[in-house]
Amino acid sequence: MKRRTFLAGTAATALARPAIAQSSKKLTFLSWNIVDQADMFKRWFAAFTAEHPGVEIEWLDKKGPDLPPFYQTQLAAGTPPDVLDLQGGIGIEYAAQGALLDLTPYLTAHPDVRARFNQDYLNNWVWEGKTWLVPFYVAKTLLFYNKPLFQKAGLAGPATSFDELLAHAEKIGAGGTDQTGFLTLNFDWLYWALFKMNGVDLLSPDLKQPVFDTPKLVEVTEKLAKATAGTAINKISWTGRWVEPLGAFASGKVGMLNAHAPAYFFLKGQGAWINQDTLGVAELPGNWSVPTLHGYGISKGTKNPDLAWAFVEFCTARKQAQEMADSRRVLTAYTEVDNALMGHLEKDEPLAHAVLATQLEHTDKLCGNWPLPNDSRIKDAFYPELQNALLGRKDAKSALDEASRKVARELRRA
Amino acid sequence: MALVACFLAPSLLIFLLYRILPLIWNVVLSFEAWSPLHAATWVGWDNYDEMLHDDDVFWQALWNTLIFMASQPIGVAIALGIALLVNSDLKGAAVYRTIVFLSYPLMTVAVAIIWRWMYNERGGLINFVLRRLGIIHQPIAFLDSFAWALPSTIVANTWQVLGFFMIVLLTGLQNIPPHLYEAARVDGAPAWARLFRITLPMLKPSLFLCAVISILNSFAAFDLVYVMTNGGPGHGTELLITYIYKVGFGQTRFDYAAALTVAQFVLLLALAWLANRASGGNAGALE
Repeated sequence: MKRRTFLAGTAATALARPAIAQSSKKLTFLSWNIVDQADMFKRWFAAFTAEHPGVEIEWLDKKGPDLPPFYQTQLAAGTPPDVLDLQGGIGIEYAAQGALLDLTPYLTAHPDVRARFNQDYLNNWVWEGKTWLVPFYVAKTLLFYNKPLFQKAGLAGPATSFDELLAHAEKIGAGGTDQTGFLTLNFDWLYWALFKMNGVDLLSPDLKQPVFDTPKLVEVTEKLAKATAGTAINKISWTGRWVEPLGAFASGKVGMLNAHAPAYFFLKGQGAWINQDTLGVAELPGNWSVPTLHGYGISKGTKNPDLAWAFVEFCTARKQAQEMADSRRVLTAYTEVDNALMGHLEKDEPLAHAVLATQLEHTDKLCGNWPLPNDSRIKDAFYPELQNALLGRKDAKSALDEASRKVARELRRA
Repeated sequence: MALVACFLAPSLLIFLLYRILPLIWNVVLSFEAWSPLHAATWVGWDNYDEMLHDDDVFWQALWNTLIFMASQPIGVAIALGIALLVNSDLKGAAVYRTIVFLSYPLMTVAVAIIWRWMYNERGGLINFVLRRLGIIHQPIAFLDSFAWALPSTIVANTWQVLGFFMIVLLTGLQNIPPHLYEAARVDGAPAWARLFRITLPMLKPSLFLCAVISILNSFAAFDLVYVMTNGGPGHGTELLITYIYKVGFGQTRFDYAAALTVAQFVLLLALAWLANRASGGNAGALE
């Protein structure tokens, strides 16, 4: 090759690079601790980029405690991920801070997408009349119970009231060394059904005043504290996060567990005793439950909002949602997909079917999820004081008075 | 001079960019209301007012941090005892020295996980041994108890840094001129007199170093507390550093977290100054 030709070719390539770069788009997707589905996501990304030539997808996955700090730093740097998977109330918090794009116009323009979903679950992400996320996968709390421990304690079946729940827990806790009767998860308000079944609400309907500091909640807290001081309620209920409480139940020494459906798969992996004859599933008394929802949101700072929406629409399409449901044995709030999953499980995994059936029932009795712009601050104001009462550091009345004062202060600041 | 300036310039530039400027920005931020999505507005002393008058978690975290700090001399005293032992003619002293030091290079997260397992109420080693010995009949929820959680984290922290303090003090011991001890023996000085009149005064620089490092350690024990207890139960083990992290990244209040950081910085400066004064005013140097 002559030198002149070589130089001309190099110059042409160098000049063409910007043009090539401008014609390709990059979409960043941040997910919440779901790296086990890497193969599934790779297939999705390949299919999406085949439909949208020139698009490159960057996938980031963070564990639950790491995602919020990571997202904050990306917001501060002005480079937020385009699409994100958020859990629980943090979606509304980010929406209130102005970090997320209002999805209402997209859902209005695509009524078929809105119609896919169970509306009770979709409405969890409505704030100030706008929808900020759409469902990715959903779960809510249920009661797992250890049938052999129930039989040993002479109990016929799960409790139908709060006092009966505590009575069952006390009987099981008295039954043997290191045995306790009841355990609950405590993050993201997952324990709130215990209060709601007693008619206690956290905030007024306009979400501006704390209303929980009532004689009833004092009474309920005192009962829970007494049960925790003994062997009826396992103390890890109020201090553990995921591995320790579930490990305790999987060990076979705890009678009942209040947790959401994904806990079943962890328990099954850890507890050799668990099978259809030994693990019971039921709703909590009053059929109250607390949802733990994962939803897709779009950052307001995205440079490609329409492309981000196209990605969200793709991920929540029938094929992808079915793949997610089948792979992870989880409900998606996409009604047809969830019905199909339940059909498979009824034949193939009856116990998983029983667990997930509770997720589809009584979705009109969801509690513990308030569309608050400062959900994490309200939690930080309330929960430590509740812990003080439940673990015996303070009496229930003083602790709840203090919690009410702190929650009111956070609501004023919002 | 020009040549000196040229060689120093890169390091000074990095120091300026990554230490001084962020420090100044942090102080400015503490007087503002700011979030990643909204422009900053000047609020004056509001954040400090909240911290001092309307934030009991701050006072709890400060108190816990001071308790953590006050417990550090126990670790230094134990390390001194071990250093004195391994500096003697004890058989196998080199092996003991290595064993004690092994805890220090471990990652703090690993130390926290190990101790969390050991403290576990259900299957932890400590409860198992105590029950086997008949000292307790019911397991103790070390990390879930308001009474036990903070001391438990302090024990884990002390265990980890013991090896480092031992090495520092051992080095100091080995630098003490032997003729001082010979002269004291000749004069009939008993062991306790040699310890208090020769060993401890000559160890002043090493002890000062251990004191300063232990103070800094108590303010920086984020990873240990975060993994072991996450500040719980009910802020029972919350340190200033863990609280700053939660306020900044959990509650998205970077402005208020900046004010807390400034308060911690001022406190650290004051403690370092006091430590210097207590040791004679010259960073513990011998005169």
